[in-house]
Amino acid sequence: MVDVSQHELVPEHTVLEDDELEEVLTEYNIDRTDLPKIKRNDAALPDDAAVGDVIRIVRDSRTTDQSVVYRLVVE
Amino acid sequence: MQDTTPKDIGAINFGLMEPEEYREMSATKIITADTYDDDGFPIDMGLMDPRLGVIDPGLECKTCGKHSGSCNGHFGHIELAAPVIHVGFTKLIRRLLRGTCRECSRLLLTEDERDEFHDQLDESRKLSRDLNDVTKAAIRQARKKDRCPFCGEIQYDIDHEKPTTYYEVQQVLTSEYSQRIAGAMQGDEEEGIERTTPDELAEQTEIELTRVNEILSGSFRPRESQRKAIEKALDIDLTEEDTNKLMPSDIRDWFEAIPDEDMEVLGINPERSRPEWMILTVLPVPPVTARPSITLDNGQRSEDDLTHKLVDIIRINQRFMENREAGAPQLIIEDLWELLQYHVTTFMDNEISGTPPARHRSGRPLKTLSQRLKGKEGRFRGSLSGKRVNFSARTVISPDPTLSLNEVGVPDRVAKEMTQTMNVTERNLEDARRFVSNGPEGHPGANYVRRPDGRRLKVTEKNCEQLAEKVEAGWEVNRHLIDGDIVIFNRQPSLHRMSIMAHEVVVMPYKTFRLNTVVCPPYNADFDGDEMNMHALQNEEARAEARVLMRVQEQMLSPRFGENIIGAIQDHISGMYLLTHDNPRFNETQALDLLRATRIDELPEPSGVDDEGEPFWTGHDVFSELLPDDLDLEFTGTVGDEVVVEDGQLLKGTIAEDEVGEFGGEIVDTITKVYGNTRARIFVNEVSTLAMRAIMHFGFSIGIDDETIPDEAESRIDETIADANDRVEELIEAYENNELESLPGRTIDETLEMKIMQTLSRARDNAGNIADEHFQDDNPAVVMANSGARGSMLNLTQMAGAVGQQAVRGERINRGYEDRTLSHYEPNDLSAEAHGFVENSYTSGLTPREFFFHAMGGREGLVDTAVRTSKSGYLQRRLINALSELETQYDGTVRDTSDTIVQFEFGEDGTSPVKVSSDEDNDIDVEAIASRVLDSEFDSEEDREEFLGSKPRPTNLSEHADDRLTEGTEVSSDD
Ligand SMILES: [Mg+2]
Ligand SMILES: [Zn+2]
Ligand SMILES: [Zn+2]
Repeated sequence: MVDVSQHELVPEHTVLEDDELEEVLTEYNIDRTDLPKIKRNDAALPDDAAVGDVIRIVRDSRTTDQSVVYRLVVE
Repeated sequence: MQDTTPKDIGAINFGLMEPEEYREMSATKIITADTYDDDGFPIDMGLMDPRLGVIDPGLECKTCGKHSGSCNGHFGHIELAAPVIHVGFTKLIRRLLRGTCRECSRLLLTEDERDEFHDQLDESRKLSRDLNDVTKAAIRQARKKDRCPFCGEIQYDIDHEKPTTYYEVQQVLTSEYSQRIAGAMQGDEEEGIERTTPDELAEQTEIELTRVNEILSGSFRPRESQRKAIEKALDIDLTEEDTNKLMPSDIRDWFEAIPDEDMEVLGINPERSRPEWMILTVLPVPPVTARPSITLDNGQRSEDDLTHKLVDIIRINQRFMENREAGAPQLIIEDLWELLQYHVTTFMDNEISGTPPARHRSGRPLKTLSQRLKGKEGRFRGSLSGKRVNFSARTVISPDPTLSLNEVGVPDRVAKEMTQTMNVTERNLEDARRFVSNGPEGHPGANYVRRPDGRRLKVTEKNCEQLAEKVEAGWEVNRHLIDGDIVIFNRQPSLHRMSIMAHEVVVMPYKTFRLNTVVCPPYNADFDGDEMNMHALQNEEARAEARVLMRVQEQMLSPRFGENIIGAIQDHISGMYLLTHDNPRFNETQALDLLRATRIDELPEPSGVDDEGEPFWTGHDVFSELLPDDLDLEFTGTVGDEVVVEDGQLLKGTIAEDEVGEFGGEIVDTITKVYGNTRARIFVNEVSTLAMRAIMHFGFSIGIDDETIPDEAESRIDETIADANDRVEELIEAYENNELESLPGRTIDETLEMKIMQTLSRARDNAGNIADEHFQDDNPAVVMANSGARGSMLNLTQMAGAVGQQAVRGERINRGYEDRTLSHYEPNDLSAEAHGFVENSYTSGLTPREFFFHAMGGREGLVDTAVRTSKSGYLQRRLINALSELETQYDGTVRDTSDTIVQFEFGEDGTSPVKVSSDEDNDIDVEAIASRVLDSEFDSEEDREEFLGSKPRPTNLSEHADDRLTEGTEVSSDD
């Protein structure tokens, strides 16, 4: 099987550590359920991502060099 | 004025109503279908019972004692003779029937399964996902069960016949079981199936022989286990479908027994909505205020559609009861029951597919409850989201180039109708008195005044003089619109922000709204009969907001592409082109005339002196007068030449579409971004007036002679076309002789078509090129095409050269008759002529057949636009509804109303496209912006250098600070 995470069009997905997550949640003053979602079976996710984890996605942007997005892993 | 205090809504709960609740809130039971008696008084316990509210002014409500207007009306109720199904819940009823036990009514899920779905439901709720996905899955799971896990009862399929009939489908023993068994026991010699004797059958099925014989004689119906054994032994099917209609009363009994704890898994709150309440036993009767009757001119009363429907329901209800009491046969009862169901159904929704709509005597379908709410004209979209408003006007628009782009010409008769509330003070007392004394007919007049005691008086022609003297500070005067008032102006379809802008009023005679032509692009308006709406603002807050945020000049840049959407159009562009392309000379009078409608009233130093010693000004210099003094620009212009502006002087280049045009005209765009909206408004206004003066100076018109070419060219074009025709013939011949080689990936037929199309399009281009040779650069059509004002060289080609191939769906015209396009041609004629090639030009005129093909191609374009607008309109609606509640928060995130984040930073970079714009080849010129800011921020060179840290200034603050001097240009990093 192809590992899509190595594809140049797939941005970097990393699982957020607990303290990083805490920081993100306080920065935006939200619960994790207020984050955009990503499905557990999404091929771009790292293998150790579990439901309930928050993923940081760093993608190249047309308007800024890089944009950082967070997503909650769901079923 | 009571009960008008605004109140906060704490919560809204949706649920079903209990029959008892209907009865409790009912003002009266309705038992008779009659409305009014012979004297015109409403009948007690009839559909117009006075306890249901009042509509006639002067009468008192029997329930609440209020008069019409303040009494909202009160519901009544009808006791239905038999339960009927509520059409709004047929799907849910079906789901419940399928998911619960027919015997004990429990949900057909084991406790474990039920708990799991419960958990899933909680999860979904937390993630605000669609709960229906879970409840549907639960029903799907429950349906799989053949037997109830609790009482063991066999479950049958539920069939739903729309809209409101439900059947239980069971497999039962067919009545001809004995014949079928006997038949199968005969065997079939041809198929090689042997005979079976009763003994053998008894042995195989383990049924006693006597029983088998009884079964065979038809005197004993085999039980289910026996039936299955026989079916297996003889390989036959002894069942038939038996459908058993479920009456609403059966369903009601079934639902009543569904336990509360099972409901929750289905997403139903049993406290608020018991499922049996979906089967109506009581029908609420809407108050008369919701279905007022109207009195016609001839004194006859005409009832509302809802009342008509209620009359039907009550009549059938009564007949049902009478028949049942008289002990009528079941068949009749069932018919009446169905009829009652039909009337109650159509009372709620009269547009159900498969059910004939209930009609008025005239044949018009009745507008019942659901029709009042649904659709564009319905209560939600028609009366709540959008409704008719006061202080608005609509009329035809027409152009007025003398107005500023910020202004709108308002007809005096509109201005006299729309009013603005004036709070009279010491300072405006005189004005207020003048307005009032002018009365409602004179312009600037007033229509109403309000005294400090709150009394409102109408200003009339008669009382205006007296009233004017009484006006004092503290009064309110509703004066007419006057010049300078701000109003909102709109043209539908309102597809973007710039479809609604604020304009300043200029009151004018006649009946149309007047606007400057440069605001046509944002509104997408033209003057072929377009109408626009105007709204007069009614409070200071709204007026201030409109002025600051919505004025046309504030909308100069489009958020869609970050460039100017307002700019010169059409004749403005032709005019600027004529003024600047060949850089013509003007004498003093001419130059002053060109600039007469601008702020420039003194000419600059002349550009030069001509041979006769007269000073002259060039087009470039005249145009430069409009530019900001320190503007520097350099770019490639519309006509491909270099446009150079230095210190606000146009040194080189032609001013046309890409310079001052509507969508991203470079100079307008730069002025807006660098010098601000006000400067840009002045510039666009002046460009448009200068251009109008210029085009009038040179004169600009177009006629048929401008598209006519000499005979010599004409014949050359004919030759080219004949040539192309020959080549097409050659191709066809090659094709017929099978000599044509197909292109890769194409069939021979496709190859031929492509080659013919190619040949013909080349022929048209050649014809165009020949025609072009004969057009001078000052040809008006050429000027328009080159400057980008209107039209293209292709249009010119079609006018003078040849119109070319007509196409439908991107192919040559192939439709019409069998194997040919028209009966004028032989079948299977592949020639250019027979498939819509128009070799004439628009000037020379089309032949009838060419004209027909041209109409075919033209029709496709029209249909396309019609289909596209309706499709894109719907798409737009969906998009707007999906995005309308997203909002950029103060922390830069974009969130929806439930605070879910949609974007972590607006547009990923947190900037407005209007404030910043750059594209692939034009990055943001940070250096230029920085130096410009520094220039304006610091007056002296010294200040600037100190700010930049390149040259610190000596201080007497501290000895330590002296270091800064000795260290020279070095700046320490720790402070
Ligand atoms: Mg129009
Ligand atoms: Zn009342
Ligand atoms: Zn059961």
